[in-house]
Amino acid sequence: MAIDLTKADRTLVNEIIELGGEDILKCFQCGTCVADCPAATAEMPLRIKKLIHMIHLGLRDELLEEDSVWMCVTCTACEERCPRGVKPFEVCLAIRRWQAKEDPTYIPPALGEIFKTGHTQNVANVPELRKSLGLEEVPPTVAKFPELLKKFQEMLKCSKIVQEYGFMFGVG
Amino acid sequence: MPVFKYGFFLGCNIPAIRPDVEQAIRKTMPKLGVELVDVKGSACCPAFGTYPSADEYAALAINAWNISIAEEIGVDIMVECGSCYSSLKLGRDCLLRDEEKRKKVNEMLKVAGKKFEGKSDVRHIIDVLYNDVGTEKISRSINIKLDGIKVIAHSPCHMLRPSNVLGFDNPERPYMLRELIEALGAEVPRYSREFQCCGGAGGFKRRAHIEAVEYTKKKLDAIKEETDADLIVVSCITCLLHFDEIQKELTEKGKGNYSIPVFDYNQLLALCMGFDPKEVAAISIIPRDEIIERIIKS
Ligand code: SF4
Ligand code: SF4
Repeated sequence: MAIDLTKADRTLVNEIIELGGEDILKCFQCGTCVADCPAATAEMPLRIKKLIHMIHLGLRDELLEEDSVWMCVTCTACEERCPRGVKPFEVCLAIRRWQAKEDPTYIPPALGEIFKTGHTQNVANVPELRKSLGLEEVPPTVAKFPELLKKFQEMLKCSKIVQEYGFMFGVG
Repeated sequence: MPVFKYGFFLGCNIPAIRPDVEQAIRKTMPKLGVELVDVKGSACCPAFGTYPSADEYAALAINAWNISIAEEIGVDIMVECGSCYSSLKLGRDCLLRDEEKRKKVNEMLKVAGKKFEGKSDVRHIIDVLYNDVGTEKISRSINIKLDGIKVIAHSPCHMLRPSNVLGFDNPERPYMLRELIEALGAEVPRYSREFQCCGGAGGFKRRAHIEAVEYTKKKLDAIKEETDADLIVVSCITCLLHFDEIQKELTEKGKGNYSIPVFDYNQLLALCMGFDPKEVAAISIIPRDEIIERIIKS
């Protein structure tokens, strides 16, 4: 499909910068970030260099379609080796935040899980196993202290994401 | 007498899926003069695929929540999980650098009666073992030496990079885990894909499963073809779970026999110190009984 640059959106770069992709304008498209990226070996590969170029060109609709960015294994090899200090991994996270803002179906369900229990895994669910190893049945995290979990939730209720999408968190 | 004191940050996967790793750490560190206290009320770090992928301020607030508990106790945080280490350390760095973000996050924390000041640092357990304790003390602390046992050392990406913020080892040629294993008397063979990522974190495995398995297979094949390793040692719960799960999957799919036992470093250390394997190395997918038997008898 031909790309129509007349539709390019100049504000996109700034939105990504605002969301944590601070150094995106330094990229000179060398491709080092793709060379050793595990997720670049996928059949529909993650090519963070290409995504950065899309942002430079302001290709909003195309960027919103790019769910490849959710394949990032967070290894930060790109960030270590980028010769321009673009922090491509941070750009990955910034693109995800941007997508989650534009289309809430991108918001990972794990956010709700952490809000409810404090964890991505139910650490209070294995008392027998833990006891058999000689450990406390419930580990000393928020899972063990309901009054702290409540405070944790009060804190998160101050965030934009919980305020905007309360239903995902079982709030209001 | 303990010389060092840390807040032991558990995260999610260790206490829920591999609590034997938690026990191995709780048993071994005090023997090396590292006292561990609980980070009471800690939560998910948060993992990169969760809040950091949707709301930066919420993510930083959770980082700050966790670190503020250690600050109240007056200790630095020690963590095994690579992702937890990276999330907490990068979050802390961001909050220290950016006054505006720190102010906003502290407004959120205030609602919960907490405050982030940046007094407590975050340290990976390999950093603590290598730089605080040292290999000599570790060698002196064990009753069982791993003579004739060959161990693959796999350092997690998250303890290496980005090195300017969180690094303590050589980011391209890590050697600390290798030397810590050698301190137990084992041999650590080199192989071509020694520094390849395990491929287990993030959404790669879920979204491009076939390619992700293939990526890990390359590393496992290099281990199998170029070494006669008895076991793999990691120091990250994600790497541990991934190597275990993928070997089972590859074998079940008829791709060959993949059955190299996988341990967290402190589990191996605990065995060498003589702790009960039923407490410190009880859970695995690839059976470890045979190699544990061999270690205990050596
Ligand atoms: S390595 Fe850095 S400069 Fe090169 S393409 Fe990637 S982000 Fe751009
Ligand atoms: S951090 Fe993500 S984008 Fe960067 S190399 Fe690793 S998998 Fe690829």
